[in-house]
Amino acid sequence: MDLNAFADGFALVTEPHNMLYCLIGVLIGMLIGVLPGLGPSATIAILLPIVYSVDPVSAIIMLAGIYYGAQYGGTITSVLLRLPGEASTVVTVFDGFALARQGKAGTALGIAAIGSFVGATVSIVIMTLVAPVVAGWALDFGPQEYAALALLGVLLVATIGSGNTVKALIAATIGLLLATVGQDKFTGAERFTFGSLELQGGLDFVIVAMGLFGVGEILYNLEERHGKAHVPAKVSNVWPSRKDLRQSSGAIGRGSVIGFGLGVLPGGGAVMSSLAAYATEKRISKHPERFGRGAVEGVAAPETANNAAATSSFIPLLTLGIPANASMAMLFAALLVLNVQPGPQLIEERPDVFWGVVNSMYLGNLILLMLSIPLVGLFVRILLVRPAILAPLTALITILGVYTINNSTFDIFVMVVFGIIGYLMKKAGFEPGPMVLAFVLGLILEDNVRRSLIIENGDPLGLVTRPISGVIFAAFLLVALWPAAKLVFRRRKAPAVAPADRDHTTV
Amino acid sequence: MRKHSTRLAVAIGGASLALTACGGVESSTGGGDGGGDYPSGTVEMYVGASAGGSSDLISRQVSKGLSDELGESFPVINREGANGALAAAEVAGAEPDGSTIAIQNASLFVITPLAVSEDEATSIDDFEVIQGVSRDDYVLVTNPKSGYKSLGDIKAATKKVTYGTSGVGTGAQLSCALTYETAGVDAEAVPFDGGAPTLTAVLGNQVDTACMQTGEAIENIESGKLVPLSVFSDERIDYLPDVPTAQEQGLDVEVAQYRFMTVPKGTPDDVKETLIEAMQATFETDEYKAFNEQNSLTPMEIPGDEVVAQLEEDKQRYADLVEEYDINLGEG
Repeated sequence: MDLNAFADGFALVTEPHNMLYCLIGVLIGMLIGVLPGLGPSATIAILLPIVYSVDPVSAIIMLAGIYYGAQYGGTITSVLLRLPGEASTVVTVFDGFALARQGKAGTALGIAAIGSFVGATVSIVIMTLVAPVVAGWALDFGPQEYAALALLGVLLVATIGSGNTVKALIAATIGLLLATVGQDKFTGAERFTFGSLELQGGLDFVIVAMGLFGVGEILYNLEERHGKAHVPAKVSNVWPSRKDLRQSSGAIGRGSVIGFGLGVLPGGGAVMSSLAAYATEKRISKHPERFGRGAVEGVAAPETANNAAATSSFIPLLTLGIPANASMAMLFAALLVLNVQPGPQLIEERPDVFWGVVNSMYLGNLILLMLSIPLVGLFVRILLVRPAILAPLTALITILGVYTINNSTFDIFVMVVFGIIGYLMKKAGFEPGPMVLAFVLGLILEDNVRRSLIIENGDPLGLVTRPISGVIFAAFLLVALWPAAKLVFRRRKAPAVAPADRDHTTV
Repeated sequence: MRKHSTRLAVAIGGASLALTACGGVESSTGGGDGGGDYPSGTVEMYVGASAGGSSDLISRQVSKGLSDELGESFPVINREGANGALAAAEVAGAEPDGSTIAIQNASLFVITPLAVSEDEATSIDDFEVIQGVSRDDYVLVTNPKSGYKSLGDIKAATKKVTYGTSGVGTGAQLSCALTYETAGVDAEAVPFDGGAPTLTAVLGNQVDTACMQTGEAIENIESGKLVPLSVFSDERIDYLPDVPTAQEQGLDVEVAQYRFMTVPKGTPDDVKETLIEAMQATFETDEYKAFNEQNSLTPMEIPGDEVVAQLEEDKQRYADLVEEYDINLGEG
């Protein structure tokens, strides 16, 4: 690391106009993060023309702020309204919404904000120190490794639900099947599209999630409300207590590291990181039964991890020229407009851009934490709104959000269909979480298994014989066999099970 | 994984959006029913790809130029899916008054039909092509660790060669498939979701080679992380002057992506002329020229009828080659 360049970067960030752009960026990011659908990539696209009139470093500081600011905002709708706008916040819904139901929405949002801040900051520190080194790591992940990782993810999905494991497995299986809708990416054949061009590209995550979670919940509540009178939720404790903080400090620490590591991977790192962080906490907890019923660690872990991942996803862009997701692709485009070519030469050719962006994130996250404190107090008041008003409002948000993804009314109908499915699932005691997560992982799993098989000449053993994929498969076996092993241990009345727990946490 | 995009109008007017969403009310007002008052309102520019890709960026750049020239706003509307067929359908079915226009990709009309069934293929006859925009050339790259230094090395390969592409029915797939087939190399395609994952795979030496758009690969070529083996244009391209064409290396492969402005059939002549003039004025600006260079795009600012002739020629040529070498781009 070049200390001078690093220090110059800091000097640049602390110039008043750059601080202002940073503030504007994270503020816009946080606000658009609240609305599911209108994601950071679309916002950056809209603001791209502004970039021409601003100096390159300021512009990129602002646009980067929109991206990580949106990660803070996304939590709010997940916790308060059960509307996860991103795959990486689905896991937060489990305990976040449960806490909100108990009148502890403020605790959930507060811990999420603190976790996000710590996760992002830890991630920036690691990035500052070792960005070029870990960049190579992303390249070692081929289709075989992604396939193994997605498989591990599917297994974790089945284990993290709060309810019945068999029902979670059924929901996850349906999620995997949903992932097959659309044109086959390898042969061009149509699968379950019923001749519709609209379905050719497959189902979009946000549409499925908004339907199953958002619309499903609205329908369910409509029915329930006829039964009992509405009791306004308590919003008294707006900030997490000392006890909450103590309880989640471990989760935040582990979530930071997991998030950083998986976030470097361009293909689905963020969703895997929140899932892995949650599963880790549940597994090492002394009271895993609390998870899904309002455990603060269940919010702290995934929120820390997805923010750490959002931060480290800058690494492939800035050091390899690989945009890890749609927002990174827009930043790539913005850098080109500014005549900066993202790639291996960036750190030497334009240290001001590299260190300016990296160091602005320290400031940006601090601003976000400070913004969160008053805003959390404000947002939790949403829960005081009567359901008769809140339900149509939520419906409007979902319709708006889904429409903005692809400017398609067809998508709204698809969402309504998933809403009905979500309602029926809830009636029958199925959780939508495993289904949505399996859907996301299914997309990664199928493509990468098939790619691996092409590369390995059709030999499935090739999937496990590479060093990294082999380790992931070993972890897969440990997670899969652990409950059985624990059972055996218990039968033998072996007293020393607890210390062994730690060794079996996953990636 | 996520494919998000939106339109400018959405961000600005949430209320009009809700209207459009619920009732299918057209929120834009087209002009140009005679007279020289075009455009008299917002002009929607559809793009068949998500925000951030080269198709999207080119549309945004032209949109900015048009709105600078003509005053009205030209919001870019991303309508991703089916290689651009969804956006094409929006334009084909729109009022022919200049209120809906789109820069479209040649691949949708000349390459995708080779990979999908006939009723899914989009025909250029449903549109009027008014102006060519630019050409995006493909380059065949490999990782330095692979040991291949030229197409000759690949021809001499003793094992199966894998090649990454940005998907089924794309120019990247066709250029690589034609290269390996005409060279008689045992090769297999590994499709990825677009250019960025393809780049990752070839940088990590997960696939032996890849066909990519020049703009996506150029930085890594310049820094020596990728070795370019061939370009697929008729002559060498300015951005990679040292890289030989496939034809120079004895292979009859010429594939390019190019883009052009289309309007619905029956759009009045004065509207078309206004658009053509404004586009040409945009092409002359330094900002637009710089944009082309940053993205390794070669201007192809030819009249619409020449674009159509080129499309028809390419379509026939590709179809013949695919048949001659029995190449299977898809099962359609």
